[in-house]
Amino acid sequence: MNNRIKELRAKCNLTQDELARRVNVRRETIVFLEQGKYNPSLKLAYDIARTFESKIEEVFLFEE
Amino acid sequence: MKKAILPIIISLIVLGSVSILVLNSGKLNSGEGIQYFIITAIVAFGVYMGVSRIMSQKRGQPTEDELSKKIILKASSLSYFLSIYLWLVIMYLTDKLKIETDIMFGWGILGMAVFFALSWIYFRFKGVKDE
Repeated sequence: MNNRIKELRAKCNLTQDELARRVNVRRETIVFLEQGKYNPSLKLAYDIARTFESKIEEVFLFEE
Repeated sequence: MKKAILPIIISLIVLGSVSILVLNSGKLNSGEGIQYFIITAIVAFGVYMGVSRIMSQKRGQPTEDELSKKIILKASSLSYFLSIYLWLVIMYLTDKLKIETDIMFGWGILGMAVFFALSWIYFRFKGVKDE
């Protein structure tokens, strides 16, 4: 699963620290997500999408 | 704050106890020296975990989140699986080399701690994708 977190974070002018604080996770989790080393839980995916005012499928790109 | 400081306190208690034990026993032989080195490395690992939690808290982030919990869970299950084989090897060597039971348990427990630390480092760098 790929994601657009880094791109959307830059668009919203957010640092990794700020995004981590907003979705209540550690900064390392955001780093892992951006590097594609971690697939988030549904709740975290929803929280991140809501922070970017987007839908989950716009942030996380599922591959068949 | 409790969760952040706990690993540091436990690590320092372990290091203090081992240091007292070493000081009381006098001279270290090579086996004890290796054990002391491994314990110090594990203590350093515990201190690192504690410090990283404190840093997260200072940044206004949680000390633990879903990723850190998942890494601990994965590291625990892998190290448990590896420990079974470690105990088998230790039991075989104990029988062959006539090692004393308390020494065997010491190496076994130390080995389990090392396996956990190595598994944690592995998942910390490789990531947890579950795909």
